[in-house]
Amino acid sequence: MPTRTETPVYHPDLYSAAAIRDTYPHYAALRHLGPVVWLSKHKVYALPRYAECKQVLLDDDTFVSSGGVALNPVANRVGQGTTLFSDGDDHARRRSLLAHRLTPRALRTMKDMVDQQAVAVVEAAVARRTIDAVEVAMALPMSVVPDLVGWPRQGREHLLRWAGATFDALGPLNCQAVRTLPASVGMLRYARGVVRDRSVLDSSLGHDLLRAADEGRIMPAECATMMIDYLAPSLDTTISAISSALHLFATHPEQWRLLKADPDLVASAVNEVVRYESPIRGFSRTAAHDTELAGTLLPKGSRVLVLYGSANRDPLEWDDPDTFDIRRDAARQLGFGQGTHGCAGQGLARMETSAILRALVEKVDRIEPAGTPEWALNNVIHRLERLPLELIPA
Amino acid sequence: MKISVDYARCEGHGLCADQASGVFSLDDDAELTYHFEGAEVPEEHQPASRAAVNACPVAALRVLS
Repeated sequence: MPTRTETPVYHPDLYSAAAIRDTYPHYAALRHLGPVVWLSKHKVYALPRYAECKQVLLDDDTFVSSGGVALNPVANRVGQGTTLFSDGDDHARRRSLLAHRLTPRALRTMKDMVDQQAVAVVEAAVARRTIDAVEVAMALPMSVVPDLVGWPRQGREHLLRWAGATFDALGPLNCQAVRTLPASVGMLRYARGVVRDRSVLDSSLGHDLLRAADEGRIMPAECATMMIDYLAPSLDTTISAISSALHLFATHPEQWRLLKADPDLVASAVNEVVRYESPIRGFSRTAAHDTELAGTLLPKGSRVLVLYGSANRDPLEWDDPDTFDIRRDAARQLGFGQGTHGCAGQGLARMETSAILRALVEKVDRIEPAGTPEWALNNVIHRLERLPLELIPA
Repeated sequence: MKISVDYARCEGHGLCADQASGVFSLDDDAELTYHFEGAEVPEEHQPASRAAVNACPVAALRVLS
């Protein structure tokens, strides 16, 4: 059985600024090297192919999250007590406190409101005609999510910066993580204040958490981290999906015409957007005991990096993976993770992204590039920073 | 081919019903119905059923045999 000395090694820094802005060539090189590749720079086994990513995500007894899912020991310690960093019954208990509020079943009552807000956002964008589509992509999540989580109105202006910084902190401890560290600490401090002052909005997720703490079902100290648990991943990720969708339809006009001709393709288009430009690059897991993965021996404690963005472009799994095609069956894509830790907010993310796409189909004839897009610098989130577009009204 | 459904895990995302509408369906309350509970999945539904199992976001579906 191969040991680490026989495992292919990749030396380039997957988290350099250049690699963050243009990661796909690195993913292709990693997939070419093998199913399990040692990243010498980050001291972790990268999993660049679909099959192993899926195997690890579905085997949460062997590949655990309680050692943290970040790539640095500081975040893996600070993040203790979150749903993201827990396993087994402990994870199930935390997830059950809030996830039921986010299922498609629970979100039905929000659908009309989300649809109406999406139409308003798109109408305002069409009226401006030339837009930064990232700003447009921010509007719906920012109008829906903070209310749902119950974040007080005061302090919301920092939310996006704080949430982005929280994701930066889950990568390696590089310049990017260090530069944004004060902002991620700022979010934690603010969340603790919100819990201390009980200033969460009534009948929100945050309110449920306070009640759970009052009833002794969770520790009071866990309330703040669990609010961040749900808030931080619910903004940048959806903004990524919506802005990537706009970018992809602007650069693939034939796909836009397909969607215009058959709006029933919206659900399939959302899967394809998340496959093609996966909002989260990767999270790690730790081997709970000596194990073997695709012929590679992984001693207990080995850290593996599940590269969602690479798995979703793996030619062993997908025909023409670098082709954006909304008719493709991309439902099995791993952009939301999968299994026990599968994104709890994916119903909401699908609802928001679909609502924007339906409103665009109705109000917009063509989407045209109006400048050079820029990708954001973030260790974990893959999203556009700036996307100049022109919307030609229907 | 038999499929087990973990109803406690199911969150009603409905990706299975998109893949295999003759095998899984969601009612108006997003409650899942599996049409071959305790029975063999007929041969003509098996490829779609495998795709449904593969797509379930929370791994609530499992192929037993």
